[in-house]
Amino acid sequence: MDFGFTPEQQEVQTLARQILADRVSAESLAAYDEYQAERFDSDLWRQLAEAGLTGVAIGEQYGGMGFGFTELALFIEEVGRSIAPVPAIMHCVAAALPIQQFGSEGMRAAFLPAAARGELLLTAALTEALNENPANPCNTLARVDGEDLLLSGRKFAVPFAHQAQRILLAARTAQGVAVVLLDPQSRGVTLTPLESTTFEPQYQLDMESVKVPAADILCASGGEAVMQWISERTATALCAHQLGATDFALRLAASYTSEREQFGVPVATFQAVGHRMADCYIDVECLRLCTYQAMSLLDSGSSATTEVQIAKIWAGDTGHRVSYATQHVHGGTGIDRDYPLWRYCLWMRHNEMSLGSSSMHTAQLGARLAAGQAQFS
Amino acid sequence: MNIQFTAQQLALRDELRAYFARLITPELKAECERDMGEGGGPLWREALLQMGRDGWIGVGWPESWGGRGMTPLEQFVFVEEIMRAGYPFPFLTTESVGPMLAEHGNDWVKQEIVPKILKGELLISIGYSEPGAGTDLANLKTSAVRDGDDWIINGQKMWTSLAHFCDYTWLAVRTDPNAPKKHKGISMFLVPNSDPGWSCTAVHTLGGVRTNATYYDNIRVSNDHLVGELHGGWKLITGQLNRERLSLINFGPISQLFNQVTSWAINTELPAGGRVADQPWVQMNLGRCRALIECMKLIVYKQSWAMTTGTLQMADASAAKVYGSEGFIEVYRRLGEIVGQAHLLRTGSPQVSAEAGRIERLYRTASIITFGGGTNEIQRDIISAAGLWMPRASR
Repeated sequence: MDFGFTPEQQEVQTLARQILADRVSAESLAAYDEYQAERFDSDLWRQLAEAGLTGVAIGEQYGGMGFGFTELALFIEEVGRSIAPVPAIMHCVAAALPIQQFGSEGMRAAFLPAAARGELLLTAALTEALNENPANPCNTLARVDGEDLLLSGRKFAVPFAHQAQRILLAARTAQGVAVVLLDPQSRGVTLTPLESTTFEPQYQLDMESVKVPAADILCASGGEAVMQWISERTATALCAHQLGATDFALRLAASYTSEREQFGVPVATFQAVGHRMADCYIDVECLRLCTYQAMSLLDSGSSATTEVQIAKIWAGDTGHRVSYATQHVHGGTGIDRDYPLWRYCLWMRHNEMSLGSSSMHTAQLGARLAAGQAQFS
Repeated sequence: MNIQFTAQQLALRDELRAYFARLITPELKAECERDMGEGGGPLWREALLQMGRDGWIGVGWPESWGGRGMTPLEQFVFVEEIMRAGYPFPFLTTESVGPMLAEHGNDWVKQEIVPKILKGELLISIGYSEPGAGTDLANLKTSAVRDGDDWIINGQKMWTSLAHFCDYTWLAVRTDPNAPKKHKGISMFLVPNSDPGWSCTAVHTLGGVRTNATYYDNIRVSNDHLVGELHGGWKLITGQLNRERLSLINFGPISQLFNQVTSWAINTELPAGGRVADQPWVQMNLGRCRALIECMKLIVYKQSWAMTTGTLQMADASAAKVYGSEGFIEVYRRLGEIVGQAHLLRTGSPQVSAEAGRIERLYRTASIITFGGGTNEIQRDIISAAGLWMPRASR
């Protein structure tokens, strides 16, 4: 058992942190507030690609760095620490990873090199209205049409749908579940822009007999397992993003209360303030450990369903508590849009609610325990 | 980073489980239950000596001390497994005071005391608190005064748990009443509980567990009994407490209890139909407890690993203590809800099950560690100061 980082992992962390700290600031993020501009910094994305980070977990034969899921999730943690306006989770985790894992050689060669270089943008449509289980598509159906598939249905809140060249999504077929890479330019696709709490570009995706050619079919059947695989990795990436965001907010609040004086002393010297921050410290540490455990298990190819559920429960609870506690100890400054904290609070909410809330995962974990699974070994 | 046990660590765990399954007989278990999970009985003593003979107590200690030369993580796995087996292991002696003695003791301590700890032959109680010195421990009044080559010790300690069956007390005393700062005038001694000037009276607690007031009446000890530097005791106290805080949060027994209650809920039919575990609120309680205990496990494993690599942080030891102590209480409450009214029955009552009786007792004893081992308010002060660099109010 080893909780330390390898030199390569430290390099990925340092590289990502340097670029993101250099390029992302409260001032640069202000440009995207209220959808004044689309929240996607393509220059930064290119720079991350040049540094190798968009392809950190893509194999070297496809032009990536050839590292594992741990290094990728550590990159995502840094994206969370800076709440950078880049589609890292959807592109790198939800779409590129499964293409590498499950795609044919032809599909991998077609998409991965350009995805690693940041020239081709991938995203994923994982959820449907009232259905946050990616492995169980209910509103999207696929009919066989020779070698191709014809898709009809609707996906909910798809990030970067109109900028992506392909959208990974699951559809129900007569036999089970298929997973495809949908070209949003295809005939029969309608994208309706939504306005999200974080100002992330998101779209409702409607499909009316959209043809998906055989070359873009990741799997024609057996997609439940593929989507479960994707779901666990994407949920863990959301936890890593949450870890970066909550850790930043906590340290911002600790530093603010150490400077801010009332009654002639720093407000940090009041136990009521210090203790609330101590509770946040414990919450963030719990999230860190659960997330790192899930990363480590997924990286080694071990079963991690229980550990991912637990990490996502902590991502929700920690995000909620750190968001409100850090705002509170800042007083009015915490909600002032000229101060950086408020955007972090929006992302903490985003990460909390994406791919299932704490309560949903707790109920699912409880149901698995009631079925005789997930006990301590 | 690889947050999984190695094959060797898993093999060690299996070996320990098989070993304890043989060592912990039903008679020994019954004796421990009778002693309120504290130990001290004759079968308990004999089992400890056996573990010492078999070389387990110092599994993570260097071979030069008579240990097996493994790391603190293996040492933690050993304690976790023995506690899971239901044996109240004297971890304050072996895991907190013992390592401080090995590090700071003089030749007599290293030759006469430490090897006996690893053989299971010698137990130590901890004498810190006094009637007027609890959280403000540096206010302690018990004194050691030089008399030729010896020291004369006088005073009273409170909450000296386990002292009635221990061999020595790790005693904090004032050696310099004129030190400009109170905590600079404190030294640590090992005082024999067999001395005629040593006495104790029982204090009975809510949980049924006995603790003690202990009295020190003109006890004469040689300078060998001074541990570490004269007036340098404060550092030893905080070092011991850091280790104690980690030891208090042993998740072996609670994960075992969780598994037992879960299995009971799966296998128990409700008279109105269905199983206990079919109820949605029961599943929510199980899910919450499972997620809570998982973090307890990771926190202590990380700290055991940090001890191996020499990177243990004071804030993290305090975080483990706060999280674990408050987590125990939450889990006992939620598991108690699942067992229902049955868990109000005490062990020994007709109709009581093993799990129900255990939860009844654990719920009564759980409050002790939110203040014992350093109250959680002080731990939160340490976290905000040492973990987040926030300034502290002067006291």
